[in-house]
Amino acid sequence: MKAYLNQLLNVPGSDPDDARRRRLLNILLLGLLVIDVTALIVIVVDSAIRPGADPVENQVTSFGIGLVLVGILVIYQINRRYSGRWAALVFLLLLTIVLAITDSPINLTEGRSLFLFTIPIVMASLILAPAASFLFTALSAGILAYLSLSIERTVNLFGILGFFMLALVSWLSARSLEQALKELRIINANLDQVVIDRTRELAESLDRERIEAGRNQAILNSIADGVVVFDTNWNAILANPALRAMLEIPTELIVNKNFRDLIEHPRLSPRSRPLLYAMMEHDTQPPSFRIEWDEKTLSISAAQVYDNSKARHTNIGTVTVFRDFTREAEVEKLKSTFVAIVSHELRTPLNAILGYAEMFKESVYGPMNDKQVNMAERIMKNTQRLLGLINDLLDQAQMEAGKLTIQMALVRPAELLENLHGVMDQIAHERGLRLTSEIDDHLPDMLNGDGARLQQILVNLVNNAVKFTDQGTVHVRLFCPDENKWGMEVSDTGSGIPEDELPYIFDTFRQVEGGETRVHGGFGLGLSIVKQLVSLMSGEIKVNSKIGVGTTFTITLPLIVPAENPEKWRNL
Amino acid sequence: MSQLALIIEDDEDLASIFAEALRGVGFDVELVPDGRMAQDRLNNGVPPFLILLDMHLPHISGADLLTNIIKKDERFAKSVVIITTADARMGEAYTEQVDFVMIKPISFVQLRDLTSRLKPRAQQ
Repeated sequence: MKAYLNQLLNVPGSDPDDARRRRLLNILLLGLLVIDVTALIVIVVDSAIRPGADPVENQVTSFGIGLVLVGILVIYQINRRYSGRWAALVFLLLLTIVLAITDSPINLTEGRSLFLFTIPIVMASLILAPAASFLFTALSAGILAYLSLSIERTVNLFGILGFFMLALVSWLSARSLEQALKELRIINANLDQVVIDRTRELAESLDRERIEAGRNQAILNSIADGVVVFDTNWNAILANPALRAMLEIPTELIVNKNFRDLIEHPRLSPRSRPLLYAMMEHDTQPPSFRIEWDEKTLSISAAQVYDNSKARHTNIGTVTVFRDFTREAEVEKLKSTFVAIVSHELRTPLNAILGYAEMFKESVYGPMNDKQVNMAERIMKNTQRLLGLINDLLDQAQMEAGKLTIQMALVRPAELLENLHGVMDQIAHERGLRLTSEIDDHLPDMLNGDGARLQQILVNLVNNAVKFTDQGTVHVRLFCPDENKWGMEVSDTGSGIPEDELPYIFDTFRQVEGGETRVHGGFGLGLSIVKQLVSLMSGEIKVNSKIGVGTTFTITLPLIVPAENPEKWRNL
Repeated sequence: MSQLALIIEDDEDLASIFAEALRGVGFDVELVPDGRMAQDRLNNGVPPFLILLDMHLPHISGADLLTNIIKKDERFAKSVVIITTADARMGEAYTEQVDFVMIKPISFVQLRDLTSRLKPRAQQ
């Protein structure tokens, strides 16, 4: 019913204002139709039940009502098929004329029916055009003037003025209504455009994201390293095919599982578990470390993923890369085994040479002359040098294989110096140098450290200083700048190191101005080993040198007093 | 107590140098060149005053000889035990269990001086 009524009242059109006016006119016509039909029914009933009714009067009224009915239908058709404006104009004109004859001229001009003229004036501004109210005011004023003159009365100027005031008000309200509707339509249209734009942008960015994701997937699928991405709770979000192939387990055991499940997998060597748990704890980790998975050695590196889009730098997960290190590990093991065997095999005969030379020197099989003793000493000295080189090579090989470890135990700093003097005093004396030493009062009598390695560092540095100093002193100082640090300092009065060579002195197989190797002996491994040992001990080494004045090496190490926290150092 | 020193060392030259050093001090020296022979000798012969034991031996290692025989058998309770090894770490691990640890390379003079200090104890 409602839909049918709507269909009857609505006039389709492209101009929304025109459609609105035409619908409004249709509603008015419908209202009039209802009134008209009601009037007809009243008259029919009236003539039937009232015996004294005047049949002529009723006939005239019925005729009038019939005319109105025809008028309504004609205007409706014009409105529907032809033009809303014309229909409205015709309707309003007819309405005005009909109103002008509904009452006596005196009543219309000065009496009760004066207000009737306001009806078309207000309607005009609504169904024709806002300014049309003035047109109908003028028309009504004309009719009013004519009627007044026809009955010889003065024109009702107040009434006309009132009409104009009313016209003004209707014009203003109709106009602002139309204006408001127009603005609303513009806002709607803009809103539609915004929605369209946003939808398109969203679609584009989804496309971009899909392309990006596809590219990332292709990269992940094609690389040989195993990659697994974890969220902040260490649940695996994705893993690439290389990881599945490397671990030889199905994806279901990796993706959507917590990392702990993988760590507890029976194929992972129990020795590797603490390393992975430490990685989860965000512990300070080396940039990469190795684990054992069945027969395989895997190198693992992990990187935190940060979301930089927000003002705060938030961690959103971890990317972990697994690399099959099995072959490299085998090669390294072979290499270090080879070096160990070779150095053992070299050391044994050298020990024999050393022993026999000593026996000569000690005149075990009969007296020796000075020249023979001197020769025996030279054999001993060169053998010692060769042994030293082999030790350096072995250390270097072990360090490269990651096998050289620091073993913490109780160390008495004074003993380090006593041993140092025991080994180096003679050598310094032979070169005409003095070896002096001191210990800072603040330094504890006992501390935690790797005694053998600390001794090695001191001997290497002092040996180096003795080698490059022609006269003067080599001074060793053990110091304690604060309660968390202690250090060892070796200074000499030697030739100094040129500034441009300073950055390279800790490199493997290097000695300042290559040519000097022959003069001083040695591979140049000593300082490199010292530096590596110091960093294994979480310490640092600095060098300060002035040409012609001397060189000072300063090592600073973390100070751990025994019994304070021995656990912390256990696995270092 | 005897003046016997037992040198268990597989390298012939080192064994001869050690023997010379110990003879120089006045010990009677007996040489054993491998682990299995050393095991027989330790189980059957006279317990020596001094045992110079190389940790790396063919067949049975010096470490096994030390743990399974020398440390267990009452007959060696009074023997002075010196172990020799090229591995400083290994040497450190045994400092509590033996009288002396010597890290290779071992100097003739060093060995001679050390054992000569021990010798007077034997005469007491």
